[in-house]
Amino acid sequence: MGSGVSVDLQDMWIKFGDFVAVREANVNIKGGDFFSFLGPSGCGKTTILRAVSGFLEPSAGNILIGGENMIGKGPNERPTALIFQNLALFPLMKVWENIAFSMEVRGASHGERRKRADELLDMIALTGQGDKLPSELSGGQKQRVAIARALCAEPDVLLLDEPLSALDLKLRQHMRTELREIQKRVGITFIYITHDQGEALTMSDNVAVMKAGIIDQIADGKSIYDDPATAFVASFVGENNCFRGEVSKIVNGEAVVDTNRTGLLRGRIASDAQGKLSVGDDVMMFIRPEALHLSEDGQESDTRILADVHHSEFEGQSYNVFLEGTEGKEMKMALTNRGEARLFDAGTSMAIKYDASQAVIVPAGELASE
Amino acid sequence: MNGFMKDYFRKNGALMGWTLIILVGFWTVMLIILPQLYMFDLSFHPHLPPPEMGGPKDHYTLENYDYLVFGAPGNEDGYNKVDLLVFGRTLIAAAFVTIIDLMLCYPIAYFLGQTKGGGFVRILVLLLIIPYWINEILRAFAFRIIFGDSGVINEFLMLFAIIDSPIDFIRANVALYAGLGYAYILLMIFPMYNVIESLDRNQIEAARDMGASWVTIHRRIVIPYAKPGIASGCTMVFMLSAGALAAPQILGGPSSLWFTQLVYQWFNTGGNWPQASAYAIVLLVACLIIVLTVMRLFKVNMGDIGK
Amino acid sequence: MRDQPLLIRIGMSLYLLMFFTYLLGPLVLMGITAFNSASFPQITPWEVFSFEWFSKLFADDRILEGLENSLYVGFFTVILSVSMGLAGALVLTQIWPKLRATYYTLIIAPILVPGVVIGISTLVFWAEINRRLGLSPDSFLANGIFLTVLGQSTFIASYCMLVFVARLQRYDTGLTEAALDLGASHIQAFRKIQLPFLYPAMASSAVLAFLASFENYNTSIFTHQKYATLTIILSQKVRLGIDPSISALAFIIVCLTIFFALLNEVRTRRAQLAVANGAPVGVVTGGFKAPGFFAGNPAAVILALFVAGIVATIAISQVYDPEPAKSVLLKEKRAAQQLRIQALQQRMKERRMQKEMKGPDIFGGKTAGEKAKSGGAVNPGKGAFGSIWKSDSLKSVIPTDEKKDKNGLKSKSPGVNTFGNVFAPTNLEDAAGSRKKDAPKE
Repeated sequence: MGSGVSVDLQDMWIKFGDFVAVREANVNIKGGDFFSFLGPSGCGKTTILRAVSGFLEPSAGNILIGGENMIGKGPNERPTALIFQNLALFPLMKVWENIAFSMEVRGASHGERRKRADELLDMIALTGQGDKLPSELSGGQKQRVAIARALCAEPDVLLLDEPLSALDLKLRQHMRTELREIQKRVGITFIYITHDQGEALTMSDNVAVMKAGIIDQIADGKSIYDDPATAFVASFVGENNCFRGEVSKIVNGEAVVDTNRTGLLRGRIASDAQGKLSVGDDVMMFIRPEALHLSEDGQESDTRILADVHHSEFEGQSYNVFLEGTEGKEMKMALTNRGEARLFDAGTSMAIKYDASQAVIVPAGELASE
Repeated sequence: MNGFMKDYFRKNGALMGWTLIILVGFWTVMLIILPQLYMFDLSFHPHLPPPEMGGPKDHYTLENYDYLVFGAPGNEDGYNKVDLLVFGRTLIAAAFVTIIDLMLCYPIAYFLGQTKGGGFVRILVLLLIIPYWINEILRAFAFRIIFGDSGVINEFLMLFAIIDSPIDFIRANVALYAGLGYAYILLMIFPMYNVIESLDRNQIEAARDMGASWVTIHRRIVIPYAKPGIASGCTMVFMLSAGALAAPQILGGPSSLWFTQLVYQWFNTGGNWPQASAYAIVLLVACLIIVLTVMRLFKVNMGDIGK
Repeated sequence: MRDQPLLIRIGMSLYLLMFFTYLLGPLVLMGITAFNSASFPQITPWEVFSFEWFSKLFADDRILEGLENSLYVGFFTVILSVSMGLAGALVLTQIWPKLRATYYTLIIAPILVPGVVIGISTLVFWAEINRRLGLSPDSFLANGIFLTVLGQSTFIASYCMLVFVARLQRYDTGLTEAALDLGASHIQAFRKIQLPFLYPAMASSAVLAFLASFENYNTSIFTHQKYATLTIILSQKVRLGIDPSISALAFIIVCLTIFFALLNEVRTRRAQLAVANGAPVGVVTGGFKAPGFFAGNPAAVILALFVAGIVATIAISQVYDPEPAKSVLLKEKRAAQQLRIQALQQRMKERRMQKEMKGPDIFGGKTAGEKAKSGGAVNPGKGAFGSIWKSDSLKSVIPTDEKKDKNGLKSKSPGVNTFGNVFAPTNLEDAAGSRKKDAPKE
């Protein structure tokens, strides 16, 4: 199998007429990485994938695979293999012919192809199913055949375009693990496209979060979640309570924000925004529902919020409490279920607290609409 | 445009790309555009023997069109009444055949399109297609057998003493209209059938629920929906009937010519290619004008034709 | 049509019946005339059941020559129009969007242009090219087959294009991309992925193209030069004077059409049934099992009966000899003619007398004739069912006939049964004998 080969996008622009699909993308993907592009539909992530695989030419900039510039090369001349969203298995070919198609076009003999196909069928646990037609397989089986077909081409980079979106929830979770295992086994670079943050965070070494053709942040999953670079990333990945306001004081990488409705609140300035904020700037502070908890003493501080319970839900592992702060400010708090019955009645007034290190401050910007 | 061509070759590769361009180019340019243009050009030339073509006597002239309207030079009548009459009658008769076919076919298309019968409908569709596969000449021939002096209909009528001497259906053009209507009936049914088949039955049920009568349902729901199919069918039938040659030759009465027969006469009997070209152009343009007007009138697009 | 008033349902049924009578009646009647020995294609008066028109058809050199030309033209037209139609459809899917509507109008237009216009324009244009190139008038470019193929392909390619466009709409271009991505060249991706997907469309457009070419008249009549196709030969024959050998040809074509239509229907039905039953494809397309083949497939039953009927008919044609019956008929005819002449003479005599007396006898004579005629026409029908095997004159023929009919009954062939009625030479003689109507035109 190919070993890890790096993929670099340098100042890449992709335009369709006047419409800018991808704006100035700069991405360095390390060899052997499991790299995800995460973003809402229409953000240009599939366009990037198609440019990397060679189906469309960037309007400007370069695409390097293993240090070699790919501009001007067709998809059949690049060391990439793409797994299509709808899998694009050839319906008129048997499963094994599908898998060995890349060998067929290179002129490999029937025997060689059959042998290799059977090996790969073993690997994806579909031994002996080679003579079926794709239409006779289940969704998960088709998925694995598509992966085997792509791997058979021995690509240096495997590109996956939301391959799990058509599967049901159980299967999807199972396939996540399986994909990650396959990637570890073959050791090649995976570039994965998804709008599902769960997929991106669980499988990837690194994630690029995209919004309307612009890459907002590239980082590992934990940083994306805990230390978002923009308001969009903070609101798109996971749930977040957003407090907008002006910076009133900056101390040691922390800042106190004069929020519009909830008064003065203290938080940590995001890594990307360190040193870039000054007093009076329009900012947003994000606190995750699970970072909020009930205040023991209810004492006033710059990390305490007063609110009334609007309603609460029991979700098994946690309780979701929907709160209404001053001037109708909506918030959500998630309390882990540790056995105590904690369903709050509507209208209960309470004081809640958070740890300032878990409140992230970024410059104000567009939120993800969901 | 340049980027488009680049993209095109990128998508198809050089060999495939050029093969496609050559095939489509040959078809559109050498078979469709240039022959029509050349015929158009030729219709403005005088009738000359081949060696003199391009020579000093060869010049642009309207004489071929003149002839259709005013007849031979020195014609006393002022107009070429015979040919103009044939022309008008051909168009009117073709329109007549089209309307008859439409009325005949609409119930069938509706029935086939809205019946969820499966096997029965499939057999009916099969029966519809079979006559279409039979040669046009043979279809006309069958009508000649039926409508001839000692044909089935005359024999039948005389058997029951309804008439005592055979009716000359051929001379009365009954055979011709029946034969023409028959020849293109399938081209009327299928476009309508395809459209009506895709009409959601619930729409009809809903209308009935609201108390609409059958007439209203057809007028307000089915016909507006089937309009592209109707337009497509009518266009095809009209063009093909007006341009028919075999049926008029076999079934037409001795005294009533079809316009295509005039074209044929100029071409084969007269050997006058420019004159025949002029007549063909007139036929083509007239048909196109009528069809486009009707399509504009009923707000149907060219893209709907051929569905 | 579940909950419609009864009246509408009955009306619709009647209408369907009438419509299909109009559609199929002429073909059926034409087919029947092929078996009447009368030299004009007619059903009444029925003379003798005969296969002679088929023999005459197969001995007709012009028909055979026309058939040969038609096959040549059809072959090349299929190749040219299927490839142009395919190319046209492929280009349509990727042409510059602003040009698409114009391009579509251009390639669909030949369907709407009258065939005579296409024929003339093709001929004059290529003749001009021929002249400009300084080639002789009998060069390849002026060859009738070449011109006919070009003329027909002009519009037949449009039909093919429509078939391909319909199929391509269901094609996932992702498949081609997947193939390219896996290292296939453009040609390989086309040949191995897209083309196999288009095979069914190619087959149906090829059939369509061949049928359209085979029956084309309007275009070929201008372009054929000295290579007359079958259709043109037929039209010449029909215009010069019709005889039942054309009916015989029509009968053969109708039979072939029905055969292939049924065959196609059976195959689609089988595939559908298989899908409905959830059986894997391999099982269905595999072995031929008679009970399974017929199960739930009415078209298959009809097909089997149809084939049995045709086979029986051909077999009968080998042993059946209408000559004795014919000679009897001829005698009867002569006698009838004699009678008529006498009657005529008699009438003339009477008339001459009437001229002087002015009596009303003319009408009386006429009604008598009418009666006789209707009687004659009704009888053969009755007799045909009544006394099939009462022949004395054709002892040598009857045993074979009987055998055939048993076979026919075993296979429940409707064809043989209907023919069986007609094989009774005696009742035909009776019919002919009792007939007072004029002998057919010779």
